[in-house]
Amino acid sequence: MQVLFFFHLPAVTGCAEASIDAGPGLSADAVWTTLETRFPGIIQYRAGTRLARNREYVGADAVFHDGDEVALIPPVSGG
Amino acid sequence: MNPPQIEIQITDQPIPGVDSAPPGCGAFVTFQGIVRDKENGARIAALEYEAYRPMAELEMRRIVSELLSLHPCVSVRVIHRIGVVPVGEAAIVLHVGAKHRAEAFALAGAFMDRLKQDVPIWKVRAIPA
Repeated sequence: MQVLFFFHLPAVTGCAEASIDAGPGLSADAVWTTLETRFPGIIQYRAGTRLARNREYVGADAVFHDGDEVALIPPVSGG
Repeated sequence: MNPPQIEIQITDQPIPGVDSAPPGCGAFVTFQGIVRDKENGARIAALEYEAYRPMAELEMRRIVSELLSLHPCVSVRVIHRIGVVPVGEAAIVLHVGAKHRAEAFALAGAFMDRLKQDVPIWKVRAIPA
């Protein structure tokens, strides 16, 4: 699955998106753990960052699969 | 700080600059969010916005649908600008048409609150003056 980074996160990860093998399915916690292993710099932003799956916010109980478009959404500031 | 500018007119002519509202509207509220000349106390020339565009559009649509169930209105139109927006120009324009003003104001206010909580759009940079 593809993981998209926005706002300040591409500067932290060094890329605007990354591919993750979701295998039989990943919990939200497992997605974070995978990303933190690959991009240790994002650990400090986890608390304020929401996860979206296929362009909709999801909670901690979400399960992610290959083919999903996942996005890390830092605190927003539109308007 | 300059004193507030106040202008009040009574006219027997059509009022310029007013959009024609959809049929059924007795109220039409327009909100424009304007880029201010200061950001965190420093003078700026512009703000730069970025969006997770497909989700931002969907999220605004979801918010509007949810708010319409609470505040029945006739029409809602939202335009959010991204990229560099100079001081004095609108970053967002919201039009809400309704039978009566109460629901139009209520929806407009609630929408802006939700936008600032949930819609994936960011001020990525303030460009100094």
